[in-house]
Amino acid sequence: MNRVLISRLIDLVVVLFGVSIIVFLMIRLIPGDAVAIMLGANTEITPERMAELNRRVGLDRPIIEQYLLWAGSALRGDFGTSLWTGRPVATEIMTHLWPTLELTFLSLVIGAVLAVPVGCLMAQTRGGGADVAMRIAAIAGLTIPSFWLGIVLILLLASFAPSFASLGYVPFSEDPLGNLQRMLLPSIALALPILANLSRLVRSAMLDALGQDYIRTARAKGLSERKVVYKHALRNALIPFLTSVGIMTGYLLGGAIVVEQVFAIPGLGRLILGAIAERNYPVIQATILVVTAGFVLVNFLVDLLYIVVDPRVRA
Amino acid sequence: MSRLAKNKLLTFALFLVALQLILAIGAPLFAPYDPMAQSVARRLRGPTELNWLGTDQLGRDVLTRILYGYRTSLIACVLAVGIALLAGGALGLVAAYYRGWPDRIIMRVMDVLFAFPVMLLAIGIIAVLGPHTYSAAAAIAVVYTPIFARLLRGPALVLCESEYVAGAKAIGASDARIIFLHILPNLASVILVQTSLLLSAAILVEASLSFLGLGTQPPTPSLGLMLSEGRNFLQLSPWSAIFAGFAILFLSFGFNLLGDALRDTLDPRLRGQP
Amino acid sequence: MFRSALRSAMGAGFMVAAMASASAQVLEIGADNSPTGLDPHLITAFPSFMVVNGNIYEGLTAVDKDLKVVPSLAESWAVSPDGKTYTFKLRSGVKFHDGSAMEAEDVISTIKRVQSKEIASPLASRLAAIESANAVDPQTVELKLKEPSAPLLSSLATIAIVPSSVETNKDVLQKQPVGTGPFKFQEWQSNGFILLSKNDSYWQQGLPKLTGLKFNIVPESATRQVGLTNGQYALLPNIDAATALQLKGKPGVKLSETLELAYTLVGMNVSKPPFDNAKVREAVNYAINRQEIVDAALFGAGVPGGPLSPALKSWALDVKQFPCYAHDPAKAQALLKESGVSLPITVSMNVLPRQDVKDIAQVVQEQLNRVGFKVELKNQEQGQFIQDWRNSNFDMFASINAGSPDPDEYFYRTFRTGGSTNVFKYSDTEIDQLLDSARTMQDQAARKTAYDQVQKKLACSGPVAHLTYGTLFSAMRDKLQGYDVMPNRSLMLLRSATY
Repeated sequence: MNRVLISRLIDLVVVLFGVSIIVFLMIRLIPGDAVAIMLGANTEITPERMAELNRRVGLDRPIIEQYLLWAGSALRGDFGTSLWTGRPVATEIMTHLWPTLELTFLSLVIGAVLAVPVGCLMAQTRGGGADVAMRIAAIAGLTIPSFWLGIVLILLLASFAPSFASLGYVPFSEDPLGNLQRMLLPSIALALPILANLSRLVRSAMLDALGQDYIRTARAKGLSERKVVYKHALRNALIPFLTSVGIMTGYLLGGAIVVEQVFAIPGLGRLILGAIAERNYPVIQATILVVTAGFVLVNFLVDLLYIVVDPRVRA
Repeated sequence: MSRLAKNKLLTFALFLVALQLILAIGAPLFAPYDPMAQSVARRLRGPTELNWLGTDQLGRDVLTRILYGYRTSLIACVLAVGIALLAGGALGLVAAYYRGWPDRIIMRVMDVLFAFPVMLLAIGIIAVLGPHTYSAAAAIAVVYTPIFARLLRGPALVLCESEYVAGAKAIGASDARIIFLHILPNLASVILVQTSLLLSAAILVEASLSFLGLGTQPPTPSLGLMLSEGRNFLQLSPWSAIFAGFAILFLSFGFNLLGDALRDTLDPRLRGQP
Repeated sequence: MFRSALRSAMGAGFMVAAMASASAQVLEIGADNSPTGLDPHLITAFPSFMVVNGNIYEGLTAVDKDLKVVPSLAESWAVSPDGKTYTFKLRSGVKFHDGSAMEAEDVISTIKRVQSKEIASPLASRLAAIESANAVDPQTVELKLKEPSAPLLSSLATIAIVPSSVETNKDVLQKQPVGTGPFKFQEWQSNGFILLSKNDSYWQQGLPKLTGLKFNIVPESATRQVGLTNGQYALLPNIDAATALQLKGKPGVKLSETLELAYTLVGMNVSKPPFDNAKVREAVNYAINRQEIVDAALFGAGVPGGPLSPALKSWALDVKQFPCYAHDPAKAQALLKESGVSLPITVSMNVLPRQDVKDIAQVVQEQLNRVGFKVELKNQEQGQFIQDWRNSNFDMFASINAGSPDPDEYFYRTFRTGGSTNVFKYSDTEIDQLLDSARTMQDQAARKTAYDQVQKKLACSGPVAHLTYGTLFSAMRDKLQGYDVMPNRSLMLLRSATY
């Protein structure tokens, strides 16, 4: 077990190192004079201002030195300051992190909670037209563009229940009800594919469980049908569920970028899209790095959980 | 599910995909108008006899632009997934076949690429290449390469260990021959299923990127772009955005269903499972 | 580090909650873009301008709704007969938001700040004529000019007066602005909102009437519209015609409109073929159907326009005076034939990434292709567009620019040989002479004559085909009183608005 853990940890470090190099190089490869681009359209510009900005971004140093300086301070949690607002990038990321985390968390919860009954329903209607219809619906849920769904939801709500259509974001700590009210639509827009994905997992785990010996045993012991099915089938569904959490987190982060834009939620997606438009290099770098590192960590934790849950992996 | 239902589903999926492919390829034949022809007098209309799906903000026919949009999306996504398949497949097979340090280096690099959330890496790559259909395709290709590499390396490793490949080696077959004649055909079903599923996902990614203004650019017709442009006029005429959204959904849906049905039919490990 | 950042962010959140619930009179504004900073001398783009101009900061002068120069922090001024000395009498009792009094020293250090190389302000050229600034007494400032400068008073309206303490500091104002305006900076949650609160010691008695302004950053147009119709936002400032049309007639919503200063244009690079040929540029003007652009891209809300906005009533010539503004494809084709350039003329057009500009570019492309051009649109990402623009790396480009209340502010830097934004590499001795002399003229009539000539010459064969001036709208709840949209996109009228 320890050996597995250590080798996974080494993998983790190597991957994070690679990620940092790619992120760093990506920004340096952007065509053209970064500084000139930063200064905006139809404004006048002096050579002094160019030089000053170059110095500030650190673009006047050799590339290896730039990387070491950047990576060194990033390890200490210092990602420099935002070019335009002069705020520490770490603070920017922190303030944008919570809305995104909440959005992904809520979508995951909504998806997972609804997936259990939907999956069971699908399992019960096994075979025949209903099954095919369910399956088609699940795939449709998986492939519906979340940004499109988001806009449609906003418009529908605006025309049918305008007073409920609250937009933007208020922190949960400030106004719990208002927060949930505002997060409801975007979470639903993001949760649909999760629901589709998970309900299929639940369905097949359910069908598996129903055919197993221990279910028959349990039934024979006189346990109620419902209890048996839920307990065993859901435990069965846990492992494939864990595997897909990693994938779903990646999907959610991507989906959040677009959905935040539509619902005016000040999350990481907005931060990075804004930073790209403004050429705010320190922010772009740090955001991609932090989000990717977070994603890698989630997958790492899933791996660990997997080891705990599934004894076979320990060997 | 019964075998018959399975076949029906596969047939339906094939029909759906084929239909959209034909519409895309034959767009110049089927489309009632020139996709660029503007007509201010007739803009932002709903469906009429003249324009079955209405017109966009510059009076261009939405049906025509959707047909051409299918083309753009399909070209971008087939290109992207194709490149990813070739690059990722080659890397995965090489890694599995030669083992040792090529395996370690290749798979480490793949791990790093795989570590990025898809949209984030795609956005980063487009920041470098500039927004364009082909930038989006390149970004998707880079992002999907490790998926194919990982997918093929595993089964290829098993195959390389098999007596069957050992036998081929013993009679002096070249490495290339072994890979192409003995290993690859055995992976065909895995590849087919994954390609179909990834095409479905790629269509959504391409549409998202175009929606954010990072993919296909006007005046080229593209489904994501139509949605993106149409959303500025939703309360005047939602048709362009609505139909473009459905087109994206159908296209992505078709490939996903196809992949799903293929998996049921082809994948021996899953055969017999619900 | 992370944890403390988190704590301060959450603490700030609590403060706002307390504030917002204490007063219902904070005006909720739906803005489309997040400013990239709030230093009025560094960031001049619309999203910043809208927040700071006239709300947080004021200049010595101001520009009113009719684009006339009116007193602001300067109560009055006198100009010497040779036009080279301006004496400003400052308003008394004006305080900065940090409590210090606004005096002559602050005005002088503001001018130094804008002119300094270290700050490198993009506004520096507007003060280029100023040789020295002295304090006669704490309430009087004297500006000495190198040569008479006709646009000076109008330029000064765009120079925000800041406390002398920040003269050499280029970071502090970006995130923590300190001005004299009716609203003071309270909080900025990036990509969330910017909150300004009432300045209780504002010099104008009884103003402002609102207790605060909250600029909510909402990038999606459809979302902003829903926010206004359901009453979550009270004002969507400076929106385009397509958005206004969608909001027109919605219950509880009213619109305010004006012709704006900003103009859409097609720029041509005269340093290389084919646009080095004046006949080709003239042909472009004949080929373009400006009314069609207004109808197509601006939804009919706008007018075809020449080099100056029709909103500048005292300067702009009627477009009927420009022969090439009569749409005439045959004439365009004839001109192309005369020019000797072989057809079709293949050129690329860089397009600024904004929906209205993208639409306009597509219409222009069609129009030009009809007379023998083969225009390829290059839709670029903002940064790339700017880079190519700055480096004159284009055949043509389509864009939208903010206009200025005085012709010199636009013409001199754009069309004078070597002008700082003359990216077209345009050079014409007649234009140079006219521009040089007009900027120093004291006599309004003579200046007008000079600029008439400039407009006539530039309209048809200049490096810019000016296209349209749009109608600018603001949409607001019925309850919002006393605010009107302004041609320069300033929100300074919000000080006297009530909700």
